[in-house]
Amino acid sequence: MPDSEMILLTGGSACGKSSYAEELCLSLPFPRYYIAAMRPFGDGSEEKIARHRRLRRGKGFETIERYTDLQGLVLPERGTVLLECICNLTANEMFDENGAWTDPYETVVAGVETLRRQSGTLLVITNEVGADSRAYDPGTRAYMDAIGRINQRLARQADVICELVCGIPLVRKGRLPHDSDRRR
Amino acid sequence: MILIVGGEGAGKRSFAETLGYTEKDIADAAIDGRPVVYHLERLVFAQPEQADALLERLLEKEVVICCEVGSGIIPVDRSERLGREATGRLCVRLAQRAQAVVRLVCGIPTVIKGELPGKR
Repeated sequence: MPDSEMILLTGGSACGKSSYAEELCLSLPFPRYYIAAMRPFGDGSEEKIARHRRLRRGKGFETIERYTDLQGLVLPERGTVLLECICNLTANEMFDENGAWTDPYETVVAGVETLRRQSGTLLVITNEVGADSRAYDPGTRAYMDAIGRINQRLARQADVICELVCGIPLVRKGRLPHDSDRRR
Repeated sequence: MILIVGGEGAGKRSFAETLGYTEKDIADAAIDGRPVVYHLERLVFAQPEQADALLERLLEKEVVICCEVGSGIIPVDRSERLGREATGRLCVRLAQRAQAVVRLVCGIPTVIKGELPGKR
């Protein structure tokens, strides 16, 4: 496998993960693929997708909508890949239309691995879904648990882990690309 | 302006007190003549669409304290979701222009941007 790098970006909603990931991509080579895992319906997703599209405009991304089965995805070329996000992908792989669920762990992990094999740099966005105090139904609890386990697994595989707080990147593992150049 | 963030009960207010602010300096979910705004997230949740309008007035404050509310399951309720996102985005913009940003975890402050001024 040629050298590839994986950067995992985490943090709560609207903490600046997407903007920061896109900014990192601007210093990384073309082609740049944006893998959109959010299905365009329900829970305000249309607004969110429109907003993300606006933010990505002019940054040279080719958008690929892929809601499930990353293992079956073949990218046209090797390049910089931004996957947004693990929470949507996990929900899509986990629940069927009747709300029944199966453990998505292996599928999601293998899907990310497939993307990585086709990437120079793979940036993966996830979320701190587990930091929540409400009493949820068993399916939602299983979903939170699955994302926690997936995050841990991806963290072991990632070269760099970055937590975003108020738009500020806090590096938890490794070193960001071009970090040494920036400091000079 | 110093931005102080962290979860509920993480020690944000106590930390502000170590900077020399007392009860009478702290405005709870209000923007008035006092130098510290506490519970910014409550102000935002009350009117998520108006969050941007708060920015300049908050930048005039000495300290802004906000709960981190973006973690966990995305709420099904639209207004709750908007409040959460507006709080996050406003904090990103405040952090960009803040002199310092401090994050509290288990009462432990970490300066994640800039430098703190001396005690007032």
